[in-house]
Amino acid sequence: MTTNEPATSAATERHVTIDAEQLAGQSFPYQHDASLVEDVDLLAATPGQDLNWLEDVTLLVEEGVPAVFDRYSNSFLKIYFPIPEGREDEIARKVLVKHLQEGNSYGIRLKTQHAKFPQPMLGPWVAGSARVGEDWSPPRLAGWEAPSGH
Amino acid sequence: MEPVAVGERGLTYDARGLAEPEAVAPKVAVVQGDSATFDAEGLSTRQINLELRRLLYEEGVLNVTVANPGAKHSLGVGILERCHLRFGGSLGYFGLGLIDGPEVVVEGRVGWSVCENMMSGVVVVEKNAGSLTGAALRGGDLVIRGDVGARTGIDQKGGTILVGGNAGLLTGFMMQRGHQIICGNVGPGLGDSMYDGVIYVGGTVASLGIDCVEDALGAADLEFLARKLSIYGFDQTPASFRKFVCGKKLYNYDSLEPNERKLVL
Repeated sequence: MTTNEPATSAATERHVTIDAEQLAGQSFPYQHDASLVEDVDLLAATPGQDLNWLEDVTLLVEEGVPAVFDRYSNSFLKIYFPIPEGREDEIARKVLVKHLQEGNSYGIRLKTQHAKFPQPMLGPWVAGSARVGEDWSPPRLAGWEAPSGH
Repeated sequence: MEPVAVGERGLTYDARGLAEPEAVAPKVAVVQGDSATFDAEGLSTRQINLELRRLLYEEGVLNVTVANPGAKHSLGVGILERCHLRFGGSLGYFGLGLIDGPEVVVEGRVGWSVCENMMSGVVVVEKNAGSLTGAALRGGDLVIRGDVGARTGIDQKGGTILVGGNAGLLTGFMMQRGHQIICGNVGPGLGDSMYDGVIYVGGTVASLGIDCVEDALGAADLEFLARKLSIYGFDQTPASFRKFVCGKKLYNYDSLEPNERKLVL
């Protein structure tokens, strides 16, 4: 997914922790517009009869900005729109699920090239997702040859 | 290097560690619509897992029943999709590890390290579990209706472990996040070296581990307990549980030896 929003993290910008925008090279519309995450159904997006793994996801603050932690890329996804009081964790969860369902988490992007066995591209968050990892082969460095005997 | 047949089952093996180098899904399942059943008796661990993946990833099956799992190790690992699985028997060690999304019922017992590194999903084990249940669990609900061994939820990083019976020593060892609900008694060293997370105990506690302290139950705790107990059909009263958390005195521990630190504390 692309966006007209300027990337807030240039490739050369330094962060103490890993920043999702820096990994992706861009920010995403749902980080800026609350209306884009209002229709996310958290119960439908998670297994079982309650929030399941999202129970542990809460709104955090990273570099002075509200943020949610994306465990699939070990990075923080910042939220720039005003968050209504009392809905902090709900909004954080919705932004994260939107991020995952749209395939924008950096860990998901890496699957296309690096997944070693067949699996759904978008994990358990989207039904009927495309498959990746069905034709993986070890990456080879251009011009490199294995030493004799290997 | 030519693989050779070894062991009682005559499995092919080569020194690179590739058991069954030419493993192929056995295609023995009976598929009806979005459901499938197959008998695991006589199949190797890898064949069972390959058959599971074939059904889930290639056939689009959403409900799979595996009969006669035979307590084989490492069954049902690495399933990264929303689906329903049922094992009609017991699993060996490291069953259902690294899963993300499945809802699973195990009709028998499980060996150690069930659901190790599970990301999300629901796993219900109808009988007992071995040690290291839910090791490094990261999310989802893991329910053991019977007893569990030692070090339940070691290094737990999220999710909920619910035990209907008793738990062994060092329950919640080095726990970092998430919840545990132990309906029965727990052995010595509860919550030893835990960083964070919450452990609820319905029975007696033999002893607390280093830096584990009791805390008061709040409204959020009671709501959480009532919800989880209700979902999985346990009839204990939420208010009858005790809550244990990290005392946070080890947070800045970096230079003293453990025994010295004990004296300081």
